[in-house]
Amino acid sequence: MWRLYARMDFLMLTRSMRLFLTWYLSDTLLNVAAVAAAFLLAERFDGIGPWSKYQVLFLLGYSTLVRGVLETFFSYNVLYISRRIGRGQLDHILIQPQPIWMTLLTEGFLPLSLSGVLMLGLGLTAWAGLNLGLSLSPAWLALFALNLAASCAVVVAFSYLWGSLAFWAPRAAEEISTPLVYMVYSLKAFPLDGLPLPMLGGLLSIVPIGFVAWFPCRALLGLDDSPLGGFITPLAALALGALAIWAFSKGLKQYGRTGSQRYHPLGHRS
Amino acid sequence: MAAPAHSDTTRSDIVVELAGVYKTFRQRQRSEKLSEALSGLIHPRFREVRALQDINLTIHRGEIVAYAGPNGAGKSTTVKLLSSVLSPDAGLIRVLGMDPIRDRARYVNHIGVVFGQRTELWWDHPVAASFEWKRVVWDIPDERYRRMLGVVTELLGLGEFFNSLVRELSLGQKMRADLGLALIHEPEILFLDEPTIGLDVLAKRNVLQFIKDLNRPSTGSGQAVTVMVTSHDMSDLEQLAGRIVLIDKGRIAFDGDFERLRSQFTSRRHLLIETPDGVAPVFDHAALVKSEAGRHEYIFDAARVNISDLLAQAAAQTPILDVETHRESIDDVIADIYEKWQGRKT
Repeated sequence: MWRLYARMDFLMLTRSMRLFLTWYLSDTLLNVAAVAAAFLLAERFDGIGPWSKYQVLFLLGYSTLVRGVLETFFSYNVLYISRRIGRGQLDHILIQPQPIWMTLLTEGFLPLSLSGVLMLGLGLTAWAGLNLGLSLSPAWLALFALNLAASCAVVVAFSYLWGSLAFWAPRAAEEISTPLVYMVYSLKAFPLDGLPLPMLGGLLSIVPIGFVAWFPCRALLGLDDSPLGGFITPLAALALGALAIWAFSKGLKQYGRTGSQRYHPLGHRS
Repeated sequence: MAAPAHSDTTRSDIVVELAGVYKTFRQRQRSEKLSEALSGLIHPRFREVRALQDINLTIHRGEIVAYAGPNGAGKSTTVKLLSSVLSPDAGLIRVLGMDPIRDRARYVNHIGVVFGQRTELWWDHPVAASFEWKRVVWDIPDERYRRMLGVVTELLGLGEFFNSLVRELSLGQKMRADLGLALIHEPEILFLDEPTIGLDVLAKRNVLQFIKDLNRPSTGSGQAVTVMVTSHDMSDLEQLAGRIVLIDKGRIAFDGDFERLRSQFTSRRHLLIETPDGVAPVFDHAALVKSEAGRHEYIFDAARVNISDLLAQAAAQTPILDVETHRESIDDVIADIYEKWQGRKT
């Protein structure tokens, strides 16, 4: 299925040279702007708090990678699920002959047009990793991949958990996923060390920004003394994922009872 | 409510079966008064809207069924129930032996759905991309895909805009493409909710002709497609369907053919008389509707008045050049029925 969506993405991008060039130019500008603040802070102050410059850049690279994976795999409002629910567009998913989870895992795949962030994240992470002298053992790489997947799952689960509100309040909650994900994106690249404990607790539970980059990077860079530190984010992803699946399933039942009285007509994936 | 006994719709000639189906929605009631708006936050008031009440309906293989009713009668709710989008509060729904909700993923492989004001097409891609997308997601075998693509391209004239972007198409072209897309996997049943809405006369004629062609066993796989179609345009429905199901306030109010509908609900006829001197004959039991350039139109109740009596009366008053009679148009018949249901006319 991913091959199909990759092909469609390629065909869309190569429709005209003007579209192709403009798309990548604006994408590059956007991506540079997105990482500029944290990058400049790390450069200017040679690190942030207990984090050295290259550790901050690793954090920035990892968090950009998370965003890149999410944008590549969950585009077309699959990540901003409250939009699809609130706009009555779930009907289109329900009439497809496959499980709903499969549609949600595949329909938003845009590997070419939205992979700029992914590339930037990979580059930044690799550059920072090289400068930090990280030893890339298979175990470390496996832990890196596990945490990266878990961080992405945390953001998706967070969006779906709150986005499920749109099943009950389609108009009021149509955009709820959007600011939540934007908030995660804007805060994810900063080290949270030194924050007061209640605030830190909140950022690792109610608004789980800490699991998007900070906590996994602490484990990956050896800043966490606990030997199980690298498995905390996957555990958090499991817990949050279970909660999101529960809320979304409840919401789907509600949708089956009430349907949607609203509909956004300009193509159901926009 | 106990589920009613039902037949096995997999093997029988019956492909759609609804038995004792109920669907109720809750509508929040809002006040314009500030005080009531605040109290409504704590004690919200709801109104129950009974969208469907005790719907019993069977559709046989190969039938074209028109499903009509005034706004809010429950037409779209029924189509959504049959398309796996909504679940009933009570009652049984079986289509091709399957439960549309429980067997959703398997079931939707056998049906095609077109919602008139929604498109299944990929907005920023050419029409061709949506067909390719459907081929993969629906896992349509190559042979069937090529054959059906040939059929829908020819019947719907998709060739002229098959490689154009969907967002650049006209309403009629989009509807034709959506119809083709709904059929490319060769469904056994097609649910069409307002497929002609917003279309111009020519586009509408093409779409109607296509639906009729579909129902001919010689098209596609050689098996007639069963069609359930809703529309506000009664003359469209009359052209298309042999059977009409009228629903009102969530209940089936009529189920039969158009002829029976006419005879059951109205016996009115129109009489047109042309006279050389422009004088309109006067009748005891026929009302003059209009008179123009020697042509006079009357309306009369065929159950009470014999047309030969009217003609004899006319001939006694003035020479007659020409005579025409015709039945009430189906739109007028339906409008009368809706008015009666709304209690404005007895």
